Amino acid sequence: MKLYRLWGIALRYLFLFRHSLDRLSDAFFWPVVDLVLWGLTSRYFASTSLADNHLVLAFLGGIILWIFPWRGQYEISVNLLEDLWNRNLVNLFVSPILFLEWITTLLLLGVVKALVSFAFAGCLALLLYQANIFSLGWLLLPWGALLILFGWVFGLLIAGIVMRYGTRIQTLAWTAIYIVAPFACVYYPVSILPPWAQTISRFVPASYVFEAMRTTLAGGTVPLTNLIWPLILCLTYFLLAAYMIHRSFLHILKRGLISVE
Amino acid sequence: MAILEVKDLKKTFKQTPVIKGISFDMAEGEILGILGPNGAGKTTTLQMILGILTPTSGTVTIFGQNMPQDKTSIMERVNFSSTYTDLPWRLTVRENLIWTSYLYNIPDRARRLDKIKTIFRLDKLWNQSTSSLSAGQRTRVNLSRAYVNFPQLLLLDEPTASLDPEVAAYIREFFADQRTRFNTSIILTSHNMTEVENLCDRVLILKNGRIIGNDTPGRLAKKIDETHLNLRVTKRADILAQLIETSKLKSVETDGVTSITLKEKLLPLFLYEVAKNKIHYSEITIDKPTLEDYFLRIAKGKDHGKSTGGDL
Repeated sequence: MKLYRLWGIALRYLFLFRHSLDRLSDAFFWPVVDLVLWGLTSRYFASTSLADNHLVLAFLGGIILWIFPWRGQYEISVNLLEDLWNRNLVNLFVSPILFLEWITTLLLLGVVKALVSFAFAGCLALLLYQANIFSLGWLLLPWGALLILFGWVFGLLIAGIVMRYGTRIQTLAWTAIYIVAPFACVYYPVSILPPWAQTISRFVPASYVFEAMRTTLAGGTVPLTNLIWPLILCLTYFLLAAYMIHRSFLHILKRGLISVE
Repeated sequence: MAILEVKDLKKTFKQTPVIKGISFDMAEGEILGILGPNGAGKTTTLQMILGILTPTSGTVTIFGQNMPQDKTSIMERVNFSSTYTDLPWRLTVRENLIWTSYLYNIPDRARRLDKIKTIFRLDKLWNQSTSSLSAGQRTRVNLSRAYVNFPQLLLLDEPTASLDPEVAAYIREFFADQRTRFNTSIILTSHNMTEVENLCDRVLILKNGRIIGNDTPGRLAKKIDETHLNLRVTKRADILAQLIETSKLKSVETDGVTSITLKEKLLPLFLYEVAKNKIHYSEITIDKPTLEDYFLRIAKGKDHGKSTGGDL
């Protein structure tokens, strides 16, 4: 793996980010919309004494932490789509780059952009609602890492499917991760779910993070060992997703990269 | 020494054989044309050489290394430009060449990009977004991208399609010059027969996934022994018509010019007959067979070498 090649691929997407209004809006506009809508809604609930003040922070924390899996997934699948729309996949793979280098860059870009969006949304929440998500301190580190790993799993899965079946199913790039959102329990405790959904939720690593966040915000403590099981789950899913996208790449090589669209 | 060796390459798509076992090699500094009707397997062959299509069987060796096992080191010295690919539209020409340059181990990128800018006359386009370029300008930028690593082997799919004649001629000269100065080897597919005839040392003719011709453009053209004799007859046109009929030759008349198809070796004899019969003409031209004639015959499915040149 060569760093200059990773930087070359990263530059391709970073230049695009600068020129693309929709990519900029994805990074900044939607977090603002979510924060304003859900922040005000949770404030309203809190003011009607249906809930206490910590609800506001729990809601905002959910919105802000959800940025990690969302961006982790989005960077992989939408950047692949960009290259399909631009007929640029061939240009990439007639160069010395390895498939592993390309995927690694997309994963790392997901981390960088997630951190930028997270910092932006965190500051905004502080400014608008005096809700300080950064008060969670170092806990944000393992939680963020686990969530982004979870996002990568979806990103790789969706990219693998889009590679095989083409841009006709491109809508998955924007929507697929929301299939799992109800079971990730971003805004509510797992106990709210019906029993069958709780069973599914146990296999969704993100649900453990959001549960831990709510407990911590309510003044409780969650031992880090509670994250071992979701980490094992995440790593298993990641390996499976990595295997799957590699198979998809070998599959499109059998058809020829020029014909992929 | 061969820099490229293709051995018994086969490709089957969904039980349909597309490339049926082709073998060829290429010397350093050679310019090789690949011609064939649509669907003959030209792009499929290029893709397999580049390692972006997995062959069903067979081997590709470039610079003595195996594709795709040694792809990374091979592709440092190889590049490709095609009408089937584009560069990211929203990026400027400069940005596209910058990110591409980082995919290669280039010691002085800034100087290299400056050189590319000059060679491909990109000064005015440098900061324009790729989407705003005309088709010809985009082709030029694509070609410049393929030159970013100064490849020793360059594969070009329709390189001058959509370029205006002046730029196309300039680019052709550039390819020829690169070969002379740096011994760059080039494989190109093109529908421009004149381009192939002028540029290529050797031409492979592909049809239905097989190589049916592999020779210099001149020798391939000579496989057709038909010549067209064009006469603007001013006196005794009826006698000429009789002569054509008795010689069992084919002819057509366009704008007062009679074009007679005959074997090249029969030309002197026919002209002797024309003189002997006192047929007067004010204009005479002879069209010798070209690579295009050969290609058209192949594309139509006729066996090369057979002719309808008459039996004077």
